[in-house]
Amino acid sequence: MSLEIQNLHVRIEEREILHGVDLKVDKDQTHALMGPNGSGKSTLANTIMGNPNYEVTEGKILFNGEDITEAAPDERARAGLFLAFQYPATIPGVSVANFLRMAMNARRDEQIKVKEFGKVLRENMELLRIDTAFSSRYLNEGFSGGEKKRAEILQLAMLKPEVAVLDETDSGLDIDALRIVSDGVNALRGPTMGTLIITHYTRILHYVRPDFVHIMLDGRIVREGGAELADELEEKGYDFVREEVAANAG
Amino acid sequence: MPASTATWLDDKRSQAREAYAGEEVPTWRRSGFWTTSLRKLDLDALEPRHHEPLDAIPPIVSEALGDDELGALVLQRGASTVHTFLDPQLAEQGVIVTSLERAVEEHSDLVREWYMRRLSPEEGKFAAASAAFWTGGVFVHVPKGLKIEKPIQSVYLIDEPGTAQYAHTLAVIGENSECSFREYCLGARFEGQALHAGGFELYAQAGANVQVAHFQDWGSGEIYDISTKRVEIGRDAHVGWVPVHLGGRLTKQTLDIITAEQGSDMRHTGLYFTERDEHLDLFTTDKHERGHTTGDTVWKGALTGRSRASYEGLIHIVKDAQETHTYLQTHQMLLSSDAKGDAIPSLIVQTDNVSASHGGTVGELDEDQIFYMMTRGVPRSEAVRILVEGYFEEVVQRLNDEGLQALVRRRIAEKLLAAEDQVAKFIGERAGEDPADHDLEGEAA
Repeated sequence: MSLEIQNLHVRIEEREILHGVDLKVDKDQTHALMGPNGSGKSTLANTIMGNPNYEVTEGKILFNGEDITEAAPDERARAGLFLAFQYPATIPGVSVANFLRMAMNARRDEQIKVKEFGKVLRENMELLRIDTAFSSRYLNEGFSGGEKKRAEILQLAMLKPEVAVLDETDSGLDIDALRIVSDGVNALRGPTMGTLIITHYTRILHYVRPDFVHIMLDGRIVREGGAELADELEEKGYDFVREEVAANAG
Repeated sequence: MPASTATWLDDKRSQAREAYAGEEVPTWRRSGFWTTSLRKLDLDALEPRHHEPLDAIPPIVSEALGDDELGALVLQRGASTVHTFLDPQLAEQGVIVTSLERAVEEHSDLVREWYMRRLSPEEGKFAAASAAFWTGGVFVHVPKGLKIEKPIQSVYLIDEPGTAQYAHTLAVIGENSECSFREYCLGARFEGQALHAGGFELYAQAGANVQVAHFQDWGSGEIYDISTKRVEIGRDAHVGWVPVHLGGRLTKQTLDIITAEQGSDMRHTGLYFTERDEHLDLFTTDKHERGHTTGDTVWKGALTGRSRASYEGLIHIVKDAQETHTYLQTHQMLLSSDAKGDAIPSLIVQTDNVSASHGGTVGELDEDQIFYMMTRGVPRSEAVRILVEGYFEEVVQRLNDEGLQALVRRRIAEKLLAAEDQVAKFIGERAGEDPADHDLEGEAA
């Protein structure tokens, strides 16, 4: 059970952003994809999920061995993929609870029972320390940055995907919110959920320790290693990696 | 026309007939591309159709009314009032709900005091036509100090091609009374043309609290609707007004709500959804005639098919109406590449020391929202339906009437289902393009 990306080239509006990315996330692993702004991290997240604005020109995406490169986003979701958005869309007129029930039902043959849904929702809201009134608000409408991120993680907890991609979930969170979100991710990850944490900073990785770290620069993964790579990056910064890559290339 | 004992009414009718004879069939033109023309309407082929009273309410009406227990009902089919009902308890308390024809006979002085206070046959060919030729009609009078829970309901039904329905509704809500008045315009499915030319006037006297809903769903026949509706709000009175337009071949409406005395407050909420070849032309005015009045207006619409919808919403604050606080928001969503529309907020302020703001958007569904929902496993067509329903939900919430809310939600869902394929195609075409939104904003303070 895994998400596997092979030699992925991606274009947006005639410009190639990813120049051949390889990455494999098994369902009992936690990976961190790190890189500075503009390195292509969010492009990868969007492409994994099938955003129509991104065009795959070469390579493929496999999920549990099946080629999903051309699959629609809803098919990917029903297969067990999940993306926690950096900037989630606002859905006016649809409450958090209704949205969650709809999303859960979309991946089930039988509709979830109201009572069962209520119970699971309550448990997960407690896990993420979310006020109960939250569930009746329209999804993301008027939400603070932290509330939006928590709503994303709440969806993650409710939908229980096989592989979850977290796109800059740590950005814009204060330290308390970061801890709550990290606790949530820790409770959910492995052995039945693979996680790909996409981040600019190392601070979420102090709470959610990754098994593997990948560093992306200019649309390529340039270094890979274990959790210690994140520590090295924290110490030396992206410029160091950039210089190292340039030296190797020369 | 019925022989009336009220000569005052005969005089009014004959003035209106003169006005009617002196006017050409109009074409309405507005800045930009907008024209509303009646050239496809064969007016001479239409005539008032009279019908016998009905014991049972026809299914098309009962389906729209749902299970709500009504305080009163006046049902007009074609040119005739075919059914009336008034809760005996309300009758005992002095409430009058009947046809206007009958009210003219039985309550001549009361009707005369209010009749056409805010409407004039000089406003155009069809305003004159309804004033001259109305039959049946609706009269509502709630005496002062009454609180009525159950809605007062009127229905104008057109179920035969060739019908000309000239309508007039007069409602007077007494001081400090509370009630809800719903007027539904319903059309059966038929081949051929018909006309509804209506005048509506409602007066909420001092301290009254009134919910007024207009639900127009003429169906898929070729029904033309040219109407003028006016609501006047007295001192410290509140009116929540909800015009809903869900169907009609061509609709031209002038909708005015007037805060006429200090302390009067309006909450004005409109909704429309056009489809097929429908043409909708709405002009609303929130008029503030006195200072220390307040207003809050939201209009939302959506278009599918080859339909045309134009909404223009004016805030008019007259001279000396200081300390008026009001705002107006209008939004329109295009769901088909063949549909065209506009949503124009505007402002006339003839005094100072007021706050009035307005804003409008015309847009399409947001591709980011659709993608977001799809990443949660929701198929595209379902995502579109949920987003459009969600878009309307803000105004549906403001309807403040569960029966009407259920009806409106059901009809929106039906319309979306009917347009599913073309909407999917349209949204598909749009994927990857820059959204063609434009914003219109204005402020005056």
